[in-house]
Amino acid sequence: MSRLPAYYKSIAKQSKFAHLNVFISLAEDAIAIPPTSDSNEPRHKLAGKRIAIKDNICTSDLPTTAGSGILKDFISPYDATVVKQLRDAGATISGKTNMDEFGMGSHSVHSFFGTVSQVGAGGVPLSAGGSSGGSAVAVKYGQCDVALGTDTGGSVRLPAAYTGVIGFKPSYGLLSRWGVIAYANSLDTVGILAKSVDTIQSAFDPTSLPPSTRSRLRHPRPSNSPLRIGIPLEYNISTLQPSIRKTWIRALHLLESKGHTLHIVSLPATRHALSAYYILAPAEASSNLAKYDGVRFGSRADGKDGTPESVLFAKTRGAGFGPEVRRRILLGAFSLSAQAIDNYFIQAQKIRRLVQRDFDSVFRASNPLLSDIEEEMGNDGGVDVLLCPTAPTLPPRISELESQDPVAETVNDVFTVPASLAGLPAISVPIGVRRSSNEIKEKGAEAEQATGMQIIGQYGDDGLVLDVARQLEEAVLE
Amino acid sequence: MLAPTRTALSAFSTRQFLCQRCLRRAKPQPLASASPARVPRRNFQTDGNGPSKDDLPFRKVLKDVAKQKKKLSRENPGSSKNSQKDKDPRLEKWELTVGIEIHAELNTARKLFSSAATSINASPNTHVALFDSAFPGSQPQFQVETLIPALRAALALNCDIQHKSTFDRKHYFYQDQPAGYQITQYYEPFARDGHVTLYPHDFPGGVSPEGGPVTIGIKQVQMEQDTAKTVLQPPSTHLLDFNRVSHPLVEIITLPQLHHPRTAAACVRKIQAILKDVNAVTTGMEMGGLRADVNVSVRERNISLGSAGHSYYGVTGLGQRTEIKNLASIKAVEEAIIAERDRQIELLEGGGAVEGETRGWTLGSKTTRRLRGKEGEIDYRYMPDPDIAPVIVGTAVVEHLQKTLPRLSDDCIKMLVDSKEYQLTSKDASTLILLDDGDRLDYYLDVVQKLQSAFSGNQKVFDRVGKAAGNWVLMELGGLFKNEYWSESRVPSSELASIIAHVLRKQITGRTGKLLLSTKFDGDTRSVEQIIADEDMLLQPLSRPEYISLAEKLLQEKSDMVQDIIEKGQHQKVKWFVGQMMARSAEGAVEPGSAEEVLRELLKLPPVEQPK
Repeated sequence: MSRLPAYYKSIAKQSKFAHLNVFISLAEDAIAIPPTSDSNEPRHKLAGKRIAIKDNICTSDLPTTAGSGILKDFISPYDATVVKQLRDAGATISGKTNMDEFGMGSHSVHSFFGTVSQVGAGGVPLSAGGSSGGSAVAVKYGQCDVALGTDTGGSVRLPAAYTGVIGFKPSYGLLSRWGVIAYANSLDTVGILAKSVDTIQSAFDPTSLPPSTRSRLRHPRPSNSPLRIGIPLEYNISTLQPSIRKTWIRALHLLESKGHTLHIVSLPATRHALSAYYILAPAEASSNLAKYDGVRFGSRADGKDGTPESVLFAKTRGAGFGPEVRRRILLGAFSLSAQAIDNYFIQAQKIRRLVQRDFDSVFRASNPLLSDIEEEMGNDGGVDVLLCPTAPTLPPRISELESQDPVAETVNDVFTVPASLAGLPAISVPIGVRRSSNEIKEKGAEAEQATGMQIIGQYGDDGLVLDVARQLEEAVLE
Repeated sequence: MLAPTRTALSAFSTRQFLCQRCLRRAKPQPLASASPARVPRRNFQTDGNGPSKDDLPFRKVLKDVAKQKKKLSRENPGSSKNSQKDKDPRLEKWELTVGIEIHAELNTARKLFSSAATSINASPNTHVALFDSAFPGSQPQFQVETLIPALRAALALNCDIQHKSTFDRKHYFYQDQPAGYQITQYYEPFARDGHVTLYPHDFPGGVSPEGGPVTIGIKQVQMEQDTAKTVLQPPSTHLLDFNRVSHPLVEIITLPQLHHPRTAAACVRKIQAILKDVNAVTTGMEMGGLRADVNVSVRERNISLGSAGHSYYGVTGLGQRTEIKNLASIKAVEEAIIAERDRQIELLEGGGAVEGETRGWTLGSKTTRRLRGKEGEIDYRYMPDPDIAPVIVGTAVVEHLQKTLPRLSDDCIKMLVDSKEYQLTSKDASTLILLDDGDRLDYYLDVVQKLQSAFSGNQKVFDRVGKAAGNWVLMELGGLFKNEYWSESRVPSSELASIIAHVLRKQITGRTGKLLLSTKFDGDTRSVEQIIADEDMLLQPLSRPEYISLAEKLLQEKSDMVQDIIEKGQHQKVKWFVGQMMARSAEGAVEPGSAEEVLRELLKLPPVEQPK
């Protein structure tokens, strides 16, 4: 199944997890250097840590394929800024993780390099979630200490929820996108996956904007005071699996036990968010992926490409892109076309703004990106963070996905897309799913599964979101 | 560069100024009315005979004029063809309408969205940043300084600078477009609603087909990226040079308000000149630094299309237009419009209809050729670029640039023609400005300034120095530089000023002055003062007794002519005696005025009325 170049293949196969297709390439010398004596220095916080990088983030020493055939042999001439920052902080890049081609997918099955999977009960291959499935599975099975993913509509949070690890999507723009291969660049966010919030924090500190800039986004809040936790009504959808609803309630109680108060809030535009996302993201993708023509980099189809009868580069692009990417490019090209832009792209942009306003109206803190006048208006009755499930279901089996139609796949993003549209920080924290004895009887050991609970904060409130995640993490252990 | 006189200019800042001298000159001039003294002067650019001589036979003058006309038509084959075509009776019925889009490479150090340096002739692919070649993961970094020449260009075209503007992606696949889209300003351009005024002096020969000045609206000016250069290696290899990719361009879009091919050509030339004046662009059209697309339509003059017609940005009642893309010279603009106009008229007169399509033109061909029709029209799928923040331009920046805007040719011409200090003809003024990229103008202004300080106490001469300096810089010095590259150090402005001052003070004759000039031009290192002293060139005017004795001697020699004068009243024959007196004395020693005065005294004739 794997289509790795031979020299990478041999390395990848050394791993006992090779059949899960987690890595597209592995660093030959990816043995973590033990922490040196000056490891206490903040800039060496990550010394000795092995970091896996999603394969749409450029590295100059390993290929960067974005899971696509059109970049199957591409080696970037430069390191992405986040990669450089992690290296500077002492981290070792252990490999590049498999993913849905260009980030387009929710189960990491749309990769030129084969489907990523995790092992479910009884050895059944389960969806790793997507598109950062490789990064999530690498963290789950200890193949790295931290992994970088990218989150455009939930691509870090959903795999984190499916695999039972923590997945953090910072506020849009907090981590550099230089060297991150664009899918939908108004949404693309570099995210971090790890097994503990502290580890996430250790990778977030050296990569995010300098503290001086972050302090301008921070909302002063008395520490240790109880928080107002919002329960968004619209997330309680009819298709929410009962076990997930139960876990949600459990998570809310856990936070309540920490002294915080619970408040029901309404985000009415949420129900349009998913449709808006699937207009905007493909539109931007159709534009961002126009550069793959095989002229300056990447692979090119054999023979002539571009006769008077055909569109230039049609052959190369037709051969290089997988079916899901082709589908989204066509969708995006349509929604940007002169006949459709008013009804699709423009409307979707309006919805995006409504989604942002919804969030602004329920948060106590104002949105620092809006004008100063609005900033003055505090919302004392508002909440500090929202808590909701990350995904409406537990991870499906890979075998179930094969017969799934493309639209059904998108439904998994319903809870993650709103925070993406608004650019808000959001983190998925695993909470064990407790099941009734009946369910245990039916599904066997799968009952030990965890699902992800998502904490969403106001733009720039990344620190608060991580704090609440830490409290939830502790409460689960207690 | 024009600092000394900038303040004097503020009086001429009204832009909608109507150039009266041009208007006068625009009227057809019958050949014979050209005074023999003036015509050779106008020949200075075209005639090979060098500086004028006052005793030029009239026959020769006629010949020169014919020669000049021929040369002019050789230089502008379009214009003579036009004048024939203008008589095409079909043009009485059909009116042409043209709108132009001009692309010009901005004069910037860096590219529009990367810190790579811009270049003109660097070896291929040596100035390319990651973003310029659209490498995965690269992002645009807007180079703010590129705004400055763009803003200057827009201000010089009288545009409203927009407080906020944005960048959009225009999608199409071509090998010279690495990202698969061009970043341009489609939804919110940085400048809108400007205009450019074409005066008769903006047309070849100084004659506007519009009869007077015509103002062409500018819809908008936008910034955008240039493409890569494709170098064809026959038979089928295309080499790509990405040095030019993302070089900042401005696109200037005029309203469809041009109704004559020559006006369209003049409009492109004028915009090009304005962009150069304010130092906004790199090279001219011929170097590939400027390209134009034209939109051409025709409509019947006496039939109002009303709402049935097409409209564009408030201009209504237009015929169906076609677009001719990628014209690389002013000549191509004019010829392509003529060919397309004639093709459309022929089509409509034959009962057909014009199709909205994109056409191409190659220099020298007889007609435009179809590139693609409406069905093949590219849907560019314009999308705001999510990676580029809106550009906010503060009013302080605009005000500063407006204040420090280099002077435009039009303002310069106005100054040189209307100001008492200069009093040049508009023809001489525009010649001065066009020569040597403005270096000649600087030189001229230097000379004038030096003369003004020399004659500051003598109002009568002071008022004449501008005109005199113009003659010397353009005619005498211009003649010497005819076949050589201009160099202001060859005859320093102080030396020329010294020559002119001596002539104006009547210390030397004009002829001596010219001799001095060519001596200096040929490399004599001595100062003008020194040469005059060494060569004993100072004028020795005759004393009054010498005048009288010379006059008496002549009158005695030609007693018959004296009789004619006195008895038959043929007073004009006095002039012959004046001529003889001059001829028989040393060069410049006899002034014709004084000679005539003495002669009339001796002949007991009334003194000449002073012509004013």
